[in-house]
Amino acid sequence: MSQILLRNIKRVGNAGALLTHSSVASPLTVAAAVGISHQQLHTTPACCEIRKLARLRVVDNSDLGKRAMAEGRPPRCIHVYNKRGVGLIGDKVLVAIKGQMKKGILVGLKQKQRLKQPQFDSNNLVLIDDNGSPLGTRIHVPIPTVLRTILKEKTLAKGADYTKVLAIASRYV
Amino acid sequence: MNVNARVLSNRLAQQCSLKRIVTFSTKPTQQAAAVAVPQQKDAANSAPVRKPIVPAHYRFVYPEFLPDPKVEWRNTVREKLERLDMLDRRRQIELPEFYVGSILAVTSSDPHAAGKISRFVGICIHRERCGLRARFILRNVIDHQGIEVVYELYDPTIQKVEVLRLEKRVDDSLFYLRDALPEFSTFDEQMEPETLEEGTPVPINDIKVVLRPRPWLERWERQNLLGVANIDQYIKDKHRKSAEKVQKPWEKYDMMKHYRATIPEEEQKEIFAEVHTELHTLELQRKRNKRKRSFVKPKQLA
Amino acid sequence: MNQAEVSKLISQLRITMRPNKRHLKNSEGPEGRLLKLRKTVTALVKHERIELFYNRADEARGYAELLISNAIRYGDRHKATMELADYWLLEKQLVHKLFKVLVPRYENFSSSYTRMLKAPRDYPGIYYKKSVLEFRGNPFPALVPDYTQNRNLLHNVLLDEARKEFRREQLAKMANKFAAETAAPPALATQENDAGN
Repeated sequence: MSQILLRNIKRVGNAGALLTHSSVASPLTVAAAVGISHQQLHTTPACCEIRKLARLRVVDNSDLGKRAMAEGRPPRCIHVYNKRGVGLIGDKVLVAIKGQMKKGILVGLKQKQRLKQPQFDSNNLVLIDDNGSPLGTRIHVPIPTVLRTILKEKTLAKGADYTKVLAIASRYV
Repeated sequence: MNVNARVLSNRLAQQCSLKRIVTFSTKPTQQAAAVAVPQQKDAANSAPVRKPIVPAHYRFVYPEFLPDPKVEWRNTVREKLERLDMLDRRRQIELPEFYVGSILAVTSSDPHAAGKISRFVGICIHRERCGLRARFILRNVIDHQGIEVVYELYDPTIQKVEVLRLEKRVDDSLFYLRDALPEFSTFDEQMEPETLEEGTPVPINDIKVVLRPRPWLERWERQNLLGVANIDQYIKDKHRKSAEKVQKPWEKYDMMKHYRATIPEEEQKEIFAEVHTELHTLELQRKRNKRKRSFVKPKQLA
Repeated sequence: MNQAEVSKLISQLRITMRPNKRHLKNSEGPEGRLLKLRKTVTALVKHERIELFYNRADEARGYAELLISNAIRYGDRHKATMELADYWLLEKQLVHKLFKVLVPRYENFSSSYTRMLKAPRDYPGIYYKKSVLEFRGNPFPALVPDYTQNRNLLHNVLLDEARKEFRREQLAKMANKFAAETAAPPALATQENDAGN
């Protein structure tokens, strides 16, 4: 019995390490992970499309996002606010992050992109509140220039002001 | 009848010597015959027509001039028109020689960017497609974030293509950089172009990249990669076995398979003989311009 | 829209090949398919004329052509070509035949190196098309009868007539000459005497 438990801990620990992409899995996270069972165990690479339950990466410096990423529990998309159900660049999504529901904007995708538009190695997300203003004050990765146009268009259509996300971007690609 | 088509057909008639191409001229037949006769006379006067000698490396430098080897998709007229358009584009913009593994900087107009111009520096990890659709993928890591951009070589919105470092790698495509440690695909954006001396062969960089632990995007252990250092470190016996199972050692001897994937030598000669003169003059012109640009007026000493 | 492979240079085939390969039903997959074709190519190099099903012959023909064109292009000092010959010819003495007999024979050929003919099917039998695959310039009697000497062919009729006319002209000339000689020999003799004086 104890052997099985040990093996479980080891496996879950590995999975935790993979998720955080950090080489050191602290005993605390392992202990936390044991309780959560199989939810943490990912054997497949992340899906390239942003659908429900897709894992995302928060790239702004909001407190919530930073803590979630540091703990190795990245937010999951639980709804995409468009008619297709698959998130494209600049789309608004609802995410479950540390037990809360937050909205966010997709600012970088792994999926195949159009000509001359950058394709990222991770699915990036910037958390926003209901009015469209970001929770953080800075985005620490480059964001695609198309977002300028897309977010401006969405602002006009939807009422909420998304262009504040553009203001906190550190650099464009 | 639209004028463009006629101009095009005239141009074709002048430039092409292929028998299979039919130029759809709108001229009445007599007139066409009258035009054709003096041309024949010219040909008779300059009897021993010397064919240009095409350098052997052209197929590596300009692979996109060779058509798709898939027979069902071949269309001689379209290929010819595409080649003419490619030459036209090359007259407008300098498209330098580069290979998979070279580091490029591409400046293109971007309606979304602040200055309407964006510049991306990265290593070319793949080249694909042919003709006007030829394209390549650049990869770089900026602010610890891996980014890839696909460019079409003959895209009219591209303003400038600079080769910052001209070199080859040991593999045909470098998709494994996506799973490698980020330092292997990190390149400085303010990099100065490194110049190679004229006449030296393109150096082959045999650097071995270090992969991250699994899970990977592809099963690299199955692809016989030469530029990866530590695949064995991460794979188990079962991976080794399955990798062995999918190997195809007999493909080396399947001559018809190779034949169907290539353009035969005679055809290549014909194609490059057609574009060689133009490409050569463009090359010479570029060299002259470069020399002009590199000349700096000596400062007068007081 | 794929890019053509440029690392290899291959001469153009002088026969038309299908754009896709035939799979040649085989339980061992592509390797088994190649083994089948190797047997055919070996037999072809050995016997120079073989009779077999059309599909297999048509597939093997391309390989035989390419094997010879590679051998001509690179010669027997080229390692890759030697490996190729070693793989494709199951009987090793045939490697010598390839480089010492076939290469000199086909060096200056401008047509294809092989010829394929349709052969009659057995009746009643398996409903597969059959064919004969052979090397050009083989030592056997020709399979197709030589009709070029047929007297009823138009060009032969014309040639015959031309020949006849020529002969008639020659005869007429000779007759004229003979008649002239018999009519005036004394005149000739006097002339000769004049010349002597």
